[in-house]
Amino acid sequence: MTRVNPRVPVTFDKIQKSFGAVRVLEELNLAVEPGEFLVLLGASGSGKTTALRILSGLETATSGSVMIGDREVTHVLPKYRDISMVFQSYALYPHKTVAENIGYPLKVRGVAKADAEAQIKDAAAQVHLGDLLHRYPRELSGGQRQRVALARAIVRRPSVFLMDEPLSNLDAKLRGHMRAELKHMQNTLGITTIYVTHDQIEAMTLARRVAILEKGILQQLATPAEIYNNPANLFVAQFIGSPPMNVVHGRLEGAVFHSNGAKVDVPLSGKVAKAILGVRPEDCSVVAPAKGNVAAEIYTVELIGDHTLVTVKTGSDMVTVKAPKDFNGKTGGKIGVSLTKDRLFVFDATSGARIR
Amino acid sequence: MSVTSLKFEASRRSLMERLFEPPAIGKMSPAARIVVYGFLLFWTGFVLFPIYWVVITAFKSAQVVNEGPYYIPFVDFTPTLDGWRAQFATDPFCDLAAVGRQLGLYVYNSVAFVLSPFVTIAPMEPQICKVFLAYTNSFVISIGSTVLCMVIGSMAAYALARIQYKPKFGNIAVFVLLALCAIAATNYAGLHWAMSGAVALALFFLLARAFGKHFTAQLGNGDILFWIISQRILPPIVVIFPIYMMFQAVGLIDTHLALILVYAVANLPIVVWLMHDFFASLPIELEESAQLDGATRFGIFWDIVLPLTRPGLAAITLLTLILNWNEYILAVFLSLSKAQTMPIMVAAKNAGERGILWWEMCAIIVVMIIPVIIMAIFLQRFIAKGVLLGAVKG
Repeated sequence: MTRVNPRVPVTFDKIQKSFGAVRVLEELNLAVEPGEFLVLLGASGSGKTTALRILSGLETATSGSVMIGDREVTHVLPKYRDISMVFQSYALYPHKTVAENIGYPLKVRGVAKADAEAQIKDAAAQVHLGDLLHRYPRELSGGQRQRVALARAIVRRPSVFLMDEPLSNLDAKLRGHMRAELKHMQNTLGITTIYVTHDQIEAMTLARRVAILEKGILQQLATPAEIYNNPANLFVAQFIGSPPMNVVHGRLEGAVFHSNGAKVDVPLSGKVAKAILGVRPEDCSVVAPAKGNVAAEIYTVELIGDHTLVTVKTGSDMVTVKAPKDFNGKTGGKIGVSLTKDRLFVFDATSGARIR
Repeated sequence: MSVTSLKFEASRRSLMERLFEPPAIGKMSPAARIVVYGFLLFWTGFVLFPIYWVVITAFKSAQVVNEGPYYIPFVDFTPTLDGWRAQFATDPFCDLAAVGRQLGLYVYNSVAFVLSPFVTIAPMEPQICKVFLAYTNSFVISIGSTVLCMVIGSMAAYALARIQYKPKFGNIAVFVLLALCAIAATNYAGLHWAMSGAVALALFFLLARAFGKHFTAQLGNGDILFWIISQRILPPIVVIFPIYMMFQAVGLIDTHLALILVYAVANLPIVVWLMHDFFASLPIELEESAQLDGATRFGIFWDIVLPLTRPGLAAITLLTLILNWNEYILAVFLSLSKAQTMPIMVAAKNAGERGILWWEMCAIIVVMIIPVIIMAIFLQRFIAKGVLLGAVKG
């Protein structure tokens, strides 16, 4: 069965939310494009779930407005918003079978029984649940429960999908698998999807665009590649990437970054008393002690598989280098670290703003 | 120390160990097992003996009771049906046909009650022996008040568990003040009660709208819940005089409705308090999910919340039923003859110059406890755990 889904944009306009004296969201402006897979990424307490709940109508914004398509829905009840949501805990009805769970949105909307049955089968088939329809949630594994929650969300073909960390209760292997299925399904259905997670890998792999939130403020909204290669500020730079970007505290004088006696040429010039140099582990390389930008002792060596992570200590900062897998230095050994000049980032240490 | 004494000590210690140390964590040692099961056995006998005594006394004659104590039927004494005959065989209205007529009468009287605003139908007097009347009364009253109490109580508890109420102190004070004014106006100025009530209510809404936002002190759900349970700190009997006078004024004394209402109100705090905990412990995501799916609040309550709290509902229903079934003191005040319940029949056997008619009293008690036992067995199936399994988490 193929049904055409309306591709609907979603807009947050100056959304603010406070719980008592606590500001959770500060003037969130966010435009989600029609049919887009947008990931809201942030640590716990960043306001990402609150933003999602305001869109769903389960929470009301303190001020500002929310649009779904061309409708303003700020004060519309959740059930009239034509959205469906997958919860982190799945929120399956334990006293209903899989079929009844999937069919619940149809039942409460008074869809005729024969139609409903066809749609339930269709949705169940999409998530490969066809032969489990008569079971109860307690008889299913975590992954299967996740699929039921997904089927219940897609059975009604809403204008917007909301997902609140739907994969975080699954084990690592299943998570990777479901991630791929989810992305494929979203692509097929073409329904605008907003996905909340604290997991940067999920964000990078699933999203067409990622919105990074921290302390209720939108830090950057861009494609995964853009966010990785061109982070807007120190927070984004450190949040994205595994292992995270190395940061070295120091000062910028002219086109040279000074830190603990080490001098690094940087591709800009200016004067900042408290600056931070950022460089990703893959943009560093291990060289002979005299040759590199920095000479230091090896702090730890971790063999990952296809590469080795070598961490050295410079002053109070740690620098991790992505080295070839056959690197054989020992803890305490002296090495030099060379940094790729045009891949260096410089941030203002006090504001976190990016200078380059 | 010699070798033999060491050996003796070792074997002695292992015996003590075997007796006083559990074989595994989570099990009892043999000694503890003997003590615990011994005590439980003793206690079982201790609790069951009065029931046994009531049952055998119901089959004793006056003489056997007075000469007693006799413990074992057919050995100590010959069972008779004296106690039962006095209740059920000496009264012309004590047969199955009378019970059938009585049930028909209930239907007739209920219809008459429902239609009473439109047509005047004289309710018919029951013609049935006192025990059957009391028995049917007890059923109607305890089931009626339990249903009423559970419906109101569970909805109130759900509302308190899921909706945030913020009544303001100032508004409550204004309400109480206006209510007092309305009462004074009705009683001393001769105003019609409907008129003074309507005026007071209108004034309250006006004042609350005008000044409500200036009041800052407010109560929360926890305060409301505590206020509700505080209604049960004093026994309901302390308000029996106002209730009696109210019911007398509206002609409800000695009716089923009076007892149904009073029992429901008396048990409401317990039901609200207990159900609130059940509702509050449900994962809220289930209800949020149902809201997004398009269900109404009442639909969610009926379709999601109630089925998941079924064990709690069953347990509290049973508790309320038993409280109502056994209630005595309110029934004494509010029923004269037509609405008398079983406990009153039991107590009535304590009257008269012949002293306590133990054998008749026990016959009635046996009849009275049978439904409670059946209910307990029936509802016990629902009071099982594990309903929430699979609701949340992977």
